[in-house]
Amino acid sequence: MNLYEFSQRALMTAMLVYSASFFIYMIALGGKKWSSRKSPERTQKWGWYGFAAAAVGLAAHVTFFVTRWMAAGHIPTSNMYEFMTMLAMAIMMAFIVIYLIYRNVLLGAFTLPLAVIIIAYASVFPSEIQPLIPSLNSNWLRLHVTTAALGEAFFAVGFTAALVQLLRVVDFTRTDKAGMRARRWVESFLLVILIVVGFLISVFSFRIAGYEVEYRQVKVSVDQFGQQTTTERLVTYNLPPIVKPHGGEIMAADTFLGTTDSLFEAPSWLKGVNADRKLNTILWSIISGLILYGLLRLIARKQLGAVIHPRLSDINPDDLDEISYRSIAIGYPLFTLGGLIFAMIWAQVAWSRFWGWDPKEVWALITWLFYTAYLHLRLSRGWIGAKSAWLAVVGFLVVLFTLIGVNLVIAGLHSYAGVS
Amino acid sequence: MLFENTKCECGHQNPVGTVLCEYCGMPLIEEIKTDPASPLEMRYDGMARRSQKSNPNLVDRIWRFFSSVRVAVWLIVLTLIGAALGTIYPQESTFINLKTSEEFRNYYKQEYGTMGEIYHALGLSRVYESWWFVGLLVMIGTSLVICSLDRVLPLYRALSKQQVRKHLQFITRQQVVYQGPEPQDRMAWLDKFEQALKKKRYRVWRDGDALMAEKNRFSRWGPYINHIGLIIFLLAILGRGVPAWNMDQYITLYDGETQQIPNTHYYVKNEKFTVEYYSDEELPQSLKGTVRPKLFNTRAILYECTANCDDPSKEPVLVEVKKHDIRMNQPLTYKGLSLYQFDYNDKPKLLSVSPVLVDKTTGEKYGPIHLSIRDPALTYEAGPYTLTLKDKFMDFGGFDSEGRPMSKSREPNAPAFIFIIKGPDLPENGETYIYFPNQIDKVRFGQDILNKALVDKLELRVEGMENVSIAENASTLNVRMDRAMPFVWTGAGIFLFGVVIGLYWNHRRIWLRFDDGVLSLGAHTNKNHYGLKTELAVMMNKSGIEVTVERLDNRRKTV
Repeated sequence: MNLYEFSQRALMTAMLVYSASFFIYMIALGGKKWSSRKSPERTQKWGWYGFAAAAVGLAAHVTFFVTRWMAAGHIPTSNMYEFMTMLAMAIMMAFIVIYLIYRNVLLGAFTLPLAVIIIAYASVFPSEIQPLIPSLNSNWLRLHVTTAALGEAFFAVGFTAALVQLLRVVDFTRTDKAGMRARRWVESFLLVILIVVGFLISVFSFRIAGYEVEYRQVKVSVDQFGQQTTTERLVTYNLPPIVKPHGGEIMAADTFLGTTDSLFEAPSWLKGVNADRKLNTILWSIISGLILYGLLRLIARKQLGAVIHPRLSDINPDDLDEISYRSIAIGYPLFTLGGLIFAMIWAQVAWSRFWGWDPKEVWALITWLFYTAYLHLRLSRGWIGAKSAWLAVVGFLVVLFTLIGVNLVIAGLHSYAGVS
Repeated sequence: MLFENTKCECGHQNPVGTVLCEYCGMPLIEEIKTDPASPLEMRYDGMARRSQKSNPNLVDRIWRFFSSVRVAVWLIVLTLIGAALGTIYPQESTFINLKTSEEFRNYYKQEYGTMGEIYHALGLSRVYESWWFVGLLVMIGTSLVICSLDRVLPLYRALSKQQVRKHLQFITRQQVVYQGPEPQDRMAWLDKFEQALKKKRYRVWRDGDALMAEKNRFSRWGPYINHIGLIIFLLAILGRGVPAWNMDQYITLYDGETQQIPNTHYYVKNEKFTVEYYSDEELPQSLKGTVRPKLFNTRAILYECTANCDDPSKEPVLVEVKKHDIRMNQPLTYKGLSLYQFDYNDKPKLLSVSPVLVDKTTGEKYGPIHLSIRDPALTYEAGPYTLTLKDKFMDFGGFDSEGRPMSKSREPNAPAFIFIIKGPDLPENGETYIYFPNQIDKVRFGQDILNKALVDKLELRVEGMENVSIAENASTLNVRMDRAMPFVWTGAGIFLFGVVIGLYWNHRRIWLRFDDGVLSLGAHTNKNHYGLKTELAVMMNKSGIEVTVERLDNRRKTV
């Protein structure tokens, strides 16, 4: 077993231990409701077990990071796989800091699945070690990426606390207009999370099954001088085609449910790199997320928020409000330093200008502006409670768009290879 | 006109707009007085601000507009939206080969359809240079200045003259409050409590049986410091518009070539450019067989001209000031001047030739003369003949409609030189001779036909490759000077410092007094109530008063 394989196993271990930690936290919480004797000592005891497991998981995760660094000869932060696994590691570090300040069991029950989901998402990308291209070989870049990830990790913990807070304060018995609206929003947010889970489940199930279908697409375009050019494009789907490339013909295909046909064809106006395959993946995610949601609703026979809500009744929403805000307040200077200042220094050294309005730069600025607005609204305009919690939730969505969405949707200097 | 009485019970005369008495902290405004249970609004310690002036004139109104945090948040949100819109499609500035508005319009239409056309028509394809986006940034800058001034002065006054004994309502309406029976020995307990406070690094003041404790006041200046940093940052960016502060140009240098950096007294030499690629063993499975660059390196020397710099007739005196390997992420920097690796060209290029002048009738050879392609001398002596350079073309492109020779570019792809040759058996004014150093150009452009007057008499000819000097690589460097950068970094640094002291430390104050056997204690912090409550509970328990963290909480329930 070489160093690279060892580091891959360390990551797998970390993920399994994180999942175990998540279940321990669930026991710590569930115990409150299930056992007849409500015992804070019991919750606290299991909370510490969960925390210990999370710490062991983090140790394995750090082992992964260090051994991969040694194997590659450079810090593993240079592509989507490496960045996402590091982000998960940073989230666990931020979690441990915040947990030691507030000792809140709920935080564990919600942050650990987030870390697991992010590692799973990272695993969608190719994990092999790639040598650095010259522009990425910079200490400023390394500082930029790691510090920014740490800042974003605190935003992530702030997000989980805010999400729990919303689940806690939104009243699932209310039937008036405003009450219904709040319930619907929380419920849709849970659905979004399930869609992400659905995406992971579908990608990994078909990857394990080794499913593949290849299309050939011929494009004829006429330039301004009336000259015709024909381009041929081969595209491989790893998920069964719900929507096939516009005018694509099958070259080779595995069958799914006894057929190789697709339901739809991508519209011709769909542009962008592999936009048809991305659309197919998105459709799969939404459908599997909806199925998952439907199943859970069938089992629970009520809104999912209403299932979670009563389990949170012991917790003081003010404390969650404080945790969320505090976490963001810790993350904000780190993000400013890593996401903007180090990034500008790197840009100055590498590209000879500290700012170039590249989409990734702009979205880092947008993230910063968003949290700046959050802090002003909270500190000067008194937005606390649910309002501030919604902002913290939306803020993390902005972070995710900056990290992932920009690379998927908008091309620029930061686009990585191997995006599904 | 409504007359507002701002004199407090305690006798202190407060400025109009004061919320809490500057001296004792008693609430002064009616709506606050009427709800005695609710926690007080403690912003800026209830001081009057300039923006709250009654009967505002125009300046006051502008001041009020920009001093509002609500306006500031709107400006931030609008900037955010504007910035986001600019990322939908690539900005115009990313296309170097398109110039006119017409070209851009066609490009966006062709590439992104109707949406692209609308995008371009709305000006979203150049958002970041648009008047409204720059206007928003200027307004944010204004808001930063006015917001800070409006708040920092009253806050400074409030914090620099604090009273130890506060009004009872001021204490009991803080967000963290304790009320309970007084301990048996009031003064002994106060001493003990003071010790506990000091252990937590509080500064303590006492006035009879009233006490005030405070720590981390500096953290209150954090927001104003970070705003100053941002103002410096924004001004520095404006300063980058000053042409004399800014230089951005490109220089292409062959291996071994030295060139002056235009408009400076600096010269730069490219000793050798190298490019390295990853070998197949270094590449992972999926990348094998692909070309993946590992290193671009220009071994560069920077010279400073110390004499004869502006005199074209004399050779400038150059002194080496810096030697550096310019790579990606490792620019050469010297006194604010930076040279970056930008591009390279690995097509071999002719640097110089040393032809001889052959007398075709006798076969006699004169010379050789040394002809530098990029930087040729004006006159040459070859035996009895004198050659004067009349014109040169780097990328000869034939003749225009009026029969004049022309150059396609400044790149020496097809160099051509026009000489006037004087000497024996030649007219007094000399004869024109066009010379193509590249054999292929000689044939392509018909050198012998162009030189028909001399073709049987004289010829410039290169004898052997040892008389040709060729560069394998050319390196393009980006030369930059940006005098505003130190201010940009200073602004960013000050901003970060302000944010850190404002967010990582919290200003905490505790007041207490005794009334009719009741101890009333109120505590205030601008951020992190949780920490204050926990700390206070620990200190009170130490002093002998048992209290839980929850009991100290006097906040309205957050919903």
